[in-house]
Amino acid sequence: MTTLNSILTGRRSQPHMLIEVLQDVQELYGYLPKEAMSAVAQELGIPLMEVYRVACFYKAFSLKPRGKHVFTVCTGTACHVRGARLLIDQVKGQLNIEPGETTEDGLVTIVNVNCVGACALGPVVIQNGAYCHHMTPGKLRKAIDKTRGKKKKEERAHA
Amino acid sequence: MQQYVTLKIDDARVQAIKGASVLDAAMASGICIPHLCYVPVLKDSGACRLCIVEVVNDGRTKITASCTLNAEDGMVIRSNTERIRKLRKNIAELLVAQAPNSRAVQDIAVRCGVKEVRYPFRNDNCIQCGRCVRYCTEYSKANALGFVGRGKNRHVEFALGFRRDFCKKCGFCTEYCPMSVTPCGGAMKAGEGRLCANCESQIAMADKFSGVCVRCELGRGFGCVRQTYV
Repeated sequence: MTTLNSILTGRRSQPHMLIEVLQDVQELYGYLPKEAMSAVAQELGIPLMEVYRVACFYKAFSLKPRGKHVFTVCTGTACHVRGARLLIDQVKGQLNIEPGETTEDGLVTIVNVNCVGACALGPVVIQNGAYCHHMTPGKLRKAIDKTRGKKKKEERAHA
Repeated sequence: MQQYVTLKIDDARVQAIKGASVLDAAMASGICIPHLCYVPVLKDSGACRLCIVEVVNDGRTKITASCTLNAEDGMVIRSNTERIRKLRKNIAELLVAQAPNSRAVQDIAVRCGVKEVRYPFRNDNCIQCGRCVRYCTEYSKANALGFVGRGKNRHVEFALGFRRDFCKKCGFCTEYCPMSVTPCGGAMKAGEGRLCANCESQIAMADKFSGVCVRCELGRGFGCVRQTYV
């Protein structure tokens, strides 16, 4: 099992490992807890300020707890041209949250990033690390419904 | 033994210690290049861009910040040409628009010939010169302050959002902040895109003798080389 200790094993006192360690911590907890950041700073031998600065700089790191399913909507130039705005509008209407927020039940988090480097496949949405290409509002709605998995069945029962 | 290089700043032959910046060399020989983020004891970061100069190379000129430019033998620098004055004035105007409530920024703006600000005031009270951050990391080695975020969200913050135990509480972050210089009586308010009446005598002086030292408050507080020389 991965723990903070096992992440740090073999990387202690190596400041250049900071981003890798933070990535692993993010994977372990789903976000970067303050205590973990303090521990990382101490173990790698870098000022806490530096860790905090790096964690704030990259969109890939989150300081707030994230939901079970993370949808990353690319709003880079190519994806924007191909209608990433519609995807964001779809999410806002469906889940009633702004990009960067998590639903109240803690299931879905929506993040918008500026480019994920897959412009030919745009608009791109990353669902828990899996790239979904040529997204449309309809496809996105189905994907989100699937993660919540309740509404559809209810509708079918009524029909 | 210290090695010296000879360079030309504004047609004056200037000797500087090898490895010193062009700004250092100019200040040491009494040529005032306006500057804001430069602090003698700290590393230069080139954040404010006020200290821009023209470097003449093979008849071509290149504009660059003088605080991060190493003085080299045979360099030809121009610090007070029409082009530089125009660019510098624009930079000063942007700085005033960002943080109009600081005497230090006002003085520097006057020194650069600003009379009216063409940009909407933001009243941010921080121009991100990084003086506090650099002092905290380099000199007091506390690493309590730092820049957080990026783009327009970049700001100075304590680690994890509040003052930690490792802050030495030396207070030099506020001491070195240009915002800590109290604004003059009729400070510039948001929406009023002009300098106050108190600055007018300085404006008149700067108008008459362009490039003259206006004895800026920033220089007084932080021991400007020029101030100690005069």
